[in-house]
Amino acid sequence: MAGGNDTLSTRLSPFQKIYLLLVAGFIVGPFLPVIIQSLAFRWAWPELLPGTWWLEQRGKSMLPLAWDYVLSPYSRVWEATVNTVFIGLVVTAICLAICLPVARLLARESFAGKSAFEFFLTLPLIVPEAAIGIALLMIFIRLGLAGSYAGIIIAHLIPTIPYMVRMLTAVYQGLGRDFEEQAMILGARPLQILWRVTLPMLLPGVVAGALFTFLVSTNIFLLTFFLGQGQVITLPTLLFSKISGGNLDTTAAGITLIVTLPGIILLIISERFIKEEAFGKGFGS
Amino acid sequence: MTARERRTRILQLLQLIPILSVLVILFGGALVMALLQSLGFAPWFGINTFPDFSYFGSLWGSQTFWVSLWLTLYYATVSTLLALVFGTMLALALIKAFPGKWLYKYLYKLPLMIPYTVGIALAVIMLSSGGVLSRIVAFAGLIDDPGQFPQILKTHYGWGIIAVYVWKQTPFITLAVYAVLLGIGRETEEAAAILGARRGAIFFRVTLPQILPGIVSSTLICFAFNVGAFEAPFILGGGFPDTLPVVAWRYFNDADYTLQLQGMATVVSIGIVAGVILFAYLWVYRRYERRMGRH
Amino acid sequence: MKPNVSIFSLVAACAATSVWAADPDDAAFRDAFLSGNADWAAVEARAAEEGGVNIYYWGGNDLLNIWMDRVVAPAMAEMGVTLNPVRITGTKDAVDLVLAEKHSGKGIGQGSVDMIWINGENFATLKRQDALFGSFAQSLPNSVNLEWDESDPRAMLNVRDFGVPNDSAEVPWSGEQYVCAVNSARVADEDVPSTFAELKSYLEANPGKFTYVKPPHYLGNTFVQEAIYAHNPDGTGATPFQQSVDDIAPEELARLIAPGIEYLQSIEPNLLDAAGGSPRYPEDNKALDGLFLNGEIDFSCKFGLYAVAKGLEIGTYPEGAKQFVFPENTMIKNKNYLVIPGNAPNSAAALVLANWMASVDSQVSKLESVGMPSGIDGWKLSAEDAERIVNASPGLIGVTQADLDANAAPDTNATLVDVIEATWLEVIERDSTASIEEVVATAYANLGK
Repeated sequence: MAGGNDTLSTRLSPFQKIYLLLVAGFIVGPFLPVIIQSLAFRWAWPELLPGTWWLEQRGKSMLPLAWDYVLSPYSRVWEATVNTVFIGLVVTAICLAICLPVARLLARESFAGKSAFEFFLTLPLIVPEAAIGIALLMIFIRLGLAGSYAGIIIAHLIPTIPYMVRMLTAVYQGLGRDFEEQAMILGARPLQILWRVTLPMLLPGVVAGALFTFLVSTNIFLLTFFLGQGQVITLPTLLFSKISGGNLDTTAAGITLIVTLPGIILLIISERFIKEEAFGKGFGS
Repeated sequence: MTARERRTRILQLLQLIPILSVLVILFGGALVMALLQSLGFAPWFGINTFPDFSYFGSLWGSQTFWVSLWLTLYYATVSTLLALVFGTMLALALIKAFPGKWLYKYLYKLPLMIPYTVGIALAVIMLSSGGVLSRIVAFAGLIDDPGQFPQILKTHYGWGIIAVYVWKQTPFITLAVYAVLLGIGRETEEAAAILGARRGAIFFRVTLPQILPGIVSSTLICFAFNVGAFEAPFILGGGFPDTLPVVAWRYFNDADYTLQLQGMATVVSIGIVAGVILFAYLWVYRRYERRMGRH
Repeated sequence: MKPNVSIFSLVAACAATSVWAADPDDAAFRDAFLSGNADWAAVEARAAEEGGVNIYYWGGNDLLNIWMDRVVAPAMAEMGVTLNPVRITGTKDAVDLVLAEKHSGKGIGQGSVDMIWINGENFATLKRQDALFGSFAQSLPNSVNLEWDESDPRAMLNVRDFGVPNDSAEVPWSGEQYVCAVNSARVADEDVPSTFAELKSYLEANPGKFTYVKPPHYLGNTFVQEAIYAHNPDGTGATPFQQSVDDIAPEELARLIAPGIEYLQSIEPNLLDAAGGSPRYPEDNKALDGLFLNGEIDFSCKFGLYAVAKGLEIGTYPEGAKQFVFPENTMIKNKNYLVIPGNAPNSAAALVLANWMASVDSQVSKLESVGMPSGIDGWKLSAEDAERIVNASPGLIGVTQADLDANAAPDTNATLVDVIEATWLEVIERDSTASIEEVVATAYANLGK
């Protein structure tokens, strides 16, 4: 890419340089005051830096302040993290299991009603989440699923399936079926083909799909909030309950940073192991 | 059809069943239930006047519903458009080489990886009247009371809500456009440049048509999400009249349980409005594609 | 489509059984306990058998969260009961859950909520919907710490919750009073208002420097009630508002509340951010604290006898904060309670928890570490215990207990709170053009349906 012809500049224009800096500031800049707030004891307007820091007060209070609270079991941060990861993993596993065969069908076969089916698959992405969430709650309360892990996991499948199917279908399409056929001609049994040939070739795409599904699941707020009934807390709902009044106090700032942490880890993993193009399939056309 | 073929066919159908059951029973079922309830079917509250259009009647008959609808669409549209412009510009910059690009490619994707609630927390600390921007303005000596700082959050202009959506969705659109840009290569652009086309013309005549599918699908998703989002307008919105998802939630949470049906009518209205707009959007796009000779 | 039909009939089937069903064993225990035929040792044994208890409470107070985990959980564990504290964003969520479960046929012993921290309309809702465990409070061993003799006016807060007789279906937990705090670094002592008229003139001189929490949040409702008491056209203060909605005609209520509501309308243009178009009412306690800390408002009014002392200790209040008497003679005082829902799955453990919460030890520890005032009655305790409670107090700052007692007023009847809340929303928030009388009449009609 970078080695292209120079008629169309491959270098940034001055405007683009400034633009990149502004965007970077817009995206990560606001984290700085959150870090400061998380270390403050009292930080009132118009101070640019806290008048009193947490460490100055740490010994004087019997109560765990700031990070002492955030990192203690009292804040429920650990419980929420475990829940978020657990729900994300189960959703990813189920989603993968039910989407793989469907993606294979969509990529390779044509059947009656295929385009209708494909359209139906994208519907969850364009029906507003609030509509699904409130309507599902009514059903779940009656089925006894409200406030349970099972209910939340099932609900998370709805917005994750469309992404997963899209990404996996693209992978199968790119794969072609020649490899499997060659293996079959060479006398391999179907299971062997799946295990030795198809899966390894699919793996990068499957990992991308799984990561993306996990990412979507860990980011879901509304469905968890409506269907969890306060009994199952995840990182997004924990943070919501801290800031729902529109105020970010010391412990809320600490929790904001903790909620950001898994995202940073995911970012590093996905950036290192997955090509941009594969990831883009989840978002783009 | 041979027996073997029929067997494969049945096997294929079996593979579709898990997904179909999740989508049809839960997703479809939820929508059907919502529709039935909004039309007066709720025997568990002792109400069954199906079909009864009075819930829609009283909802659509009130002026505040239309204000709420306007606010919902306004926040969703403005933020989708802003994210589209910012995201496309970012993608166009990202395909070029520059020092530190590897780091930048981590950095710009951060909002994608973290929940909207984090974005809301950032908006609160930056933009509120007692927040960081207000303190910087005070430090510069321009104001001496937080009340003098122009109110950004909790107004019906919704700058706070829009800021959060743009923050989270700019990377989303960037990634979609960037993936397409990487895929198409730059031969056509270069050809156009050699033939003497100007920069602007190259973008609108050559690049834009190629990235359009990516733009359409990603803005579609963003817009639909924005219409149905709850947490940002709930925390950062200007209060009554609220956006439709918040209105639905308030009905649903009211002490008067019969208002839940009114809430369902609101939910169904959100679905209808979003559906109509998105289909119109898709229809226009398809027509454009056909005119361009693609199908 | 077939799957839809099956969900559908399932829902219909559940809906049909909305009678109070029961687990026979739990029902027998409940009947035995409420009729006084179960001795306490048997209750404790059964509680240990049940093994766990969950309490649903508003989770917005870090100090209370810490106390629940650090003090209550170990105390329960000693009695063989595992405490599961469920933090909720609003008490109504727990009430909704209980009612939803009741409506879907989950009866005695079959629900999922054992105990709720509650008062006011939420309790009234549970009572109206017949979703209470029963009159248990006076049968707890620690009920000796509370005054039950109704001939003593001081017993009122134990037997009536927002004016609604509670039939001992809940046990008092904390006694609170609505107090305002001022940032003395920003306001001179002589400018601090003590009446609504003085507040209004302060706001005219300093526009935007005050607001109150938005009703229907109880902190907002209470401010509205105080304004209504103070502007009662008959000059009888809180007295007429002790009646239930059934005993007072809508026209009469409208006449009584109109001056208070009109006062609130009249200060609107000078409330926080009103200069920018519409005034801003914070959504909850935390938002109010944030505004007060940043000096966006000069006065902060909420329930919190020891809020200033605790706020200074944890950094959520500005250094110059102190309390003051406002409004004279109508500072609402009430109690909050612990209720056991009718379908509590661990009712014996809930009784044990309720009893522990009413003990002197737990009240002292709660007062000390959370700053939540004692809910038991000092005059029923030994001199020594009463002394411990007094010593545990984090302290009033700027006012004395005598000031507070002298200006105390009772809460508004829970059934009227709904009407007043609806009136505020319609007249103040939605700027309705209808007269107050019409709005009140509509609220009566809506609540009656």
